[in-house]
Amino acid sequence: MAPPKALYFEDIEIGAGPNKLEKGPLTTAHLMRWSAAMENWHKIHYDKPFAMEHDKLPDLLINGSLKQQFIVQLLKDWAGPTGWVWKVSFQFRAMNKVGETLAAWGRVTGKRPGPGYGLVDLDVGITDDKGTESTPGKATVAVPYRGGDAVPYPFVPPKS
Amino acid sequence: MSILPEAAKKYIGLTSEKEVACDPVERGAVRRYAQAIMDEDPIYSESRDAHARFGGPVAPPLFPTHMVRRPLGAPDPIQEHAKDPDFDGIGATAAQGLPEIEPLKGLSLLNGGSEIEFYRYARHGETVTVQSRYADITEKQTSKGPIILVVIESDYCGADGALLVKARRTQIRR
Repeated sequence: MAPPKALYFEDIEIGAGPNKLEKGPLTTAHLMRWSAAMENWHKIHYDKPFAMEHDKLPDLLINGSLKQQFIVQLLKDWAGPTGWVWKVSFQFRAMNKVGETLAAWGRVTGKRPGPGYGLVDLDVGITDDKGTESTPGKATVAVPYRGGDAVPYPFVPPKS
Repeated sequence: MSILPEAAKKYIGLTSEKEVACDPVERGAVRRYAQAIMDEDPIYSESRDAHARFGGPVAPPLFPTHMVRRPLGAPDPIQEHAKDPDFDGIGATAAQGLPEIEPLKGLSLLNGGSEIEFYRYARHGETVTVQSRYADITEKQTSKGPIILVVIESDYCGADGALLVKARRTQIRR
């Protein structure tokens, strides 16, 4: 893996953002591996008759708890070694079914100064192979000024 | 017609005790988690250069939110419900240390979304505590019929007692 690149407040443009992070196609093996890693055995992710016949779902579902990881990874990698992902929120508005390839995305909607670092607001989400959005949300990432110090770690949020 | 029993609303405001996760942040658990989310960032490994800023190898950002697990000796929901065709596979850990909402038992559960704030990563070997609260329980009409929204707020803290992650999750029950 290449060393992560630092991101500076001055270099961020409204409307820009991280490159899409693609994951998939997400098979039953991916879902089972995730269920085992977090020890959550909700059957709608691996028991097809239960998902479709008992819970009336269209197919096995990709876990929301897995999808959220993709958005966080997208932002973490973009913030780089001297930034920090402060806040992220999202709604699981649509189901994603096993077999789909998902892409986490982010787009900068605003920039504002913070205490010794800059704050960048983004719209975020996850689209499927057809470009359908399933997980719209918002995020705020803290990044250093060029020539300034790294964002404090542990993170110290701005006083509201 | 309302599907939200009055008795369920009494859970609003209920706060759990501070619960210590049954295992500290284990290196092997971190590896399996990182591989499962397909984020093999060197900060999760023993690479000294990669994790210098964090004071040692760390777990993925959301790892603390999945540390409430069934300790040895606790009832095994999978075995208890082995003959129950309606059992959905979910154990008590879904409520993040809170008691299950008895009047909603038997309703299906879907993940509705989350609001999360990050302050620090959990380090390998670190003990994590969680305290949760039923922040809200409401009913909403949708095009597919009524649903119940259960909002759980959880604070995950590290060994120093300081916040690692703050999460506000919405569960959909129907």
